[in-house]
Amino acid sequence: MGSKQTVFTHEQLEEYQDCTFFTRKEIMRLFYRYQDLAPQLVPLDYTSCPAVKVPYQLIGSMPELKDNPFRQRIAQVFSEDGDGHMTLDNFLDMFSVMSEMAPRDLKAYYAFKIYDFNNDDYICAWDLEQTVTRLTRGELSAEEVSLVCEKVLDEADGDHDGRLSLEDFQNMILRAPDFLSTFHIRI
Amino acid sequence: MMSDNRVHEIIIELENVPSGIQNHPSPTQIMRDKPLANSAFSMVSSTSDIHVTDSLIFSHRNDKKHNQLLEFSTSLKEPISQTLRSPECLGIDTACTFHETVQGQKLITSLIPMTSRERIKTIRNQPRTMEEKRKLRNIVDKEKSKQSHHTLQLKCCAQYLNSISRGYRRSKNSLSDLLSSISLWQKALKVIGGKFGTSVLSYFNFLRWLLKFNIFSFALNFSFIIIPQLTVAERNTLQFTGLEFLTGAGYFTKTVMYYGFYTNSTIRHRSSGPSYDMQLAYIFTIGAWLIACFFSLLYSMAKYFRNSFINPHIYSRGIAKFIFCWDFTVTHEKAVKLKQKNLSTEIRENLSEILQENVKFTFRQQLACFSAHVAAWLVSAGVAAACCVAVYYLAEYNSEFLRTHRDPGAVLLLPFVVSCINLIVPRFYSMFGLVERYEMPRHEVYTLLIRNIFLKISVIGILCYSWLNIVALSDEECWETFIGQEIYRLLLMDFVFSLADSFLGEFLRRIIGMRFITSLGLQEFDIARNVLELIYAQTLVWIGIFFCPLLPLIQMITLFIMFYVKYISLMRNFQPPSKAWRASQMITVFIFLLFFPSFTGVLCTLAITVWRLKPSANCGPFRGVPLFIQSIYLWIDTLRKRSGYTWVVWIYQNLISSVHFFFILTIIVLIITYLYWQITEGRKVMIRLLHEQIINEGKDKMFLIEKLTKLQDMEKRAKPSTLILERRETEQQGPLHLGECDATPDLRFRRSVQEDNLKA
Repeated sequence: MGSKQTVFTHEQLEEYQDCTFFTRKEIMRLFYRYQDLAPQLVPLDYTSCPAVKVPYQLIGSMPELKDNPFRQRIAQVFSEDGDGHMTLDNFLDMFSVMSEMAPRDLKAYYAFKIYDFNNDDYICAWDLEQTVTRLTRGELSAEEVSLVCEKVLDEADGDHDGRLSLEDFQNMILRAPDFLSTFHIRI
Repeated sequence: MMSDNRVHEIIIELENVPSGIQNHPSPTQIMRDKPLANSAFSMVSSTSDIHVTDSLIFSHRNDKKHNQLLEFSTSLKEPISQTLRSPECLGIDTACTFHETVQGQKLITSLIPMTSRERIKTIRNQPRTMEEKRKLRNIVDKEKSKQSHHTLQLKCCAQYLNSISRGYRRSKNSLSDLLSSISLWQKALKVIGGKFGTSVLSYFNFLRWLLKFNIFSFALNFSFIIIPQLTVAERNTLQFTGLEFLTGAGYFTKTVMYYGFYTNSTIRHRSSGPSYDMQLAYIFTIGAWLIACFFSLLYSMAKYFRNSFINPHIYSRGIAKFIFCWDFTVTHEKAVKLKQKNLSTEIRENLSEILQENVKFTFRQQLACFSAHVAAWLVSAGVAAACCVAVYYLAEYNSEFLRTHRDPGAVLLLPFVVSCINLIVPRFYSMFGLVERYEMPRHEVYTLLIRNIFLKISVIGILCYSWLNIVALSDEECWETFIGQEIYRLLLMDFVFSLADSFLGEFLRRIIGMRFITSLGLQEFDIARNVLELIYAQTLVWIGIFFCPLLPLIQMITLFIMFYVKYISLMRNFQPPSKAWRASQMITVFIFLLFFPSFTGVLCTLAITVWRLKPSANCGPFRGVPLFIQSIYLWIDTLRKRSGYTWVVWIYQNLISSVHFFFILTIIVLIITYLYWQITEGRKVMIRLLHEQIINEGKDKMFLIEKLTKLQDMEKRAKPSTLILERRETEQQGPLHLGECDATPDLRFRRSVQEDNLKA
């Protein structure tokens, strides 16, 4: 990767720099990572903005994501159509939000969307059960899982409507200062 | 069918929902990547316009209460999310994208007057897709250039400033590119984070941060003190034996390494060339370095405090933090499985704690606990005191000891004893954990930390006292060099012991844990103990910079080697941590420790040195002056005689050496602190009140829903024929997940029908 690159126009790189938390070099590095996922599919020249989507199976096999219990949800949240197939824009967006420079509110928003399995903009008991199951990999029994979900709703549900809204989630995240450092994928 | 006016009304109603944080999307805009505009609303109205009508009526009736608006938005969301997920709407023209909605327009108008830096920051923080952000940016740029064309004459200097800021931003970008390309150890840190998680990673990040600190200190010293001295260096007449690396004495005494080598003269290479006063350079460099350290520590501490201590009074003992703070940095397969298993164990423990919360200890058990704690504290304080006394006596009789034992290795006795104390006593303290029982594991960590800190501070304190009170006043030929050598030996011995611990101790522990006593298993990385060792070494470096300007370089090399040693040892001899470790709070505590006992202690030591002690008469840049600080007084005196520098003298007399100025400054700072403290207290009260208000609103909602359910039941019993009509309406709205939402559209429909009937 020399100083003259022909992948993006100068204007495109400036746009990416202004819209993500990455520097020029990091954007180029991420592009080459994206390209490596599907070398036949992704062209090396993005100046004409080709509409290329890398299928979810390849995204989910990246070493940073392949063992993450939430990799499917992450890909679904950041992909355009919610099916996990990502364009380069989605890819950059995803790693920009998961980088260490993204602020807490932005991360909390996307974390909320990731844990909201049924996409109804609330984390209900069913969403929590899904989360806990993925986190513990079947180690906990069904009663323990439902007890955990009940306790979480007890603690975090501010307006007592039986589910967590975005505000409840953000309020709870404020009390967990580790969130910023744990909701971070290094690439 | 809905008229466009009514649709816009709905939008405006939504705008008034207060969203807590700026740039934070209110609940209705959570669908970030789908057309949330006129087309969507008209689609909604086509599927169930009665539904939307009565929502309007509902919101018109109670337009002030925002829980109703939330309800409206809830019901509206369901149909929207369904219609938007259906394939045919994907073909809808993208002309009605975010930036054409009212909220988008508002955002654009707010972005235009901002400076470019703030604008970029705001755009980056938007939770929108890349395409929407790009469009936003382009629209704002176009608007901005349009505006600037109109006000060309008046704002020519603003344009100039704009181009300057753009150039500055570009240079900053390329600088950060450069810095990130030479950033150390990125890959190693990624591997460590992938296998061990954020907590262990925090230790290595701390190490890297200290390394950067030392690089800066060394660069400062090197350019201002060492290079000038090297230009007038005298020849070294001593012999070089290999032992110098351990003792620091011998050949090294007459090198730039120690204070004694530096000249006190004004360096002048050509008779009419610029002169360089070594005395002033020495003291000013040290002063500038101290100020830079102070501000950078303060800045780091403030940054970490802000992130960690937002709401200190409600840190939950609860279970939610386990669920939502999964460590995404862990990428190694085995580590993930282990972490999942550990998480299950922790959740089970937490559940059983919550269930057992009402179990109280008996009086006897409480007494036993309390006495165990008291005994442990007494023993630890006693051990620390004993160590301090031993170190003090050793330091006091060190010079006699050295005279009787001519062996050059004899100087290593004191550092050896100190390092042994630092190695054995913390492990001894950890064993107290077998006897003491704590209510929360957090207390155990903090107690251990406090005991270790107390030990290390006492040891350093005793050493400083012996150096400043005994060595400086003795008739050593060059006491500053001697202190520098002592510090060098302490650091080196500490480094050797750490290496031995990593190579031998941890390796042996692994062999024992895997082969002989397999129940022990692999050990876990003790973050607190390792970070304290780093802080201890860094404190020694800070004290020693005055006496041994090359010390940051030595510490740099030490840290560099330590990173790789610890990294290799970690990969081979350790397992990932089993308990959740609150990394960010602990790092804040560590940086606070670095600042408060460590740095302020160093400041005190240096202050006593500079203001009270007499420099040695035969060596160093301050020979000949009665006190170190006299060099500055003499300089001010010479400046006074020269014209043209009276402003410097004025600043010195009225700002730096005047008591009144500092008094007034202190009063102002105290007043500002008091005001901020009161503001914080007020905000805490506000948070509590708002929290109660949220709970009350929730209760109101429940109450209203119950009332409406009751009314509906009464209606059902009164009019069974309309029941069938209702059922068809609810079925049309598609699958709804939540029971409540099932109820509410019904209720609103029923209520509106009732009202229509009443009107009729």
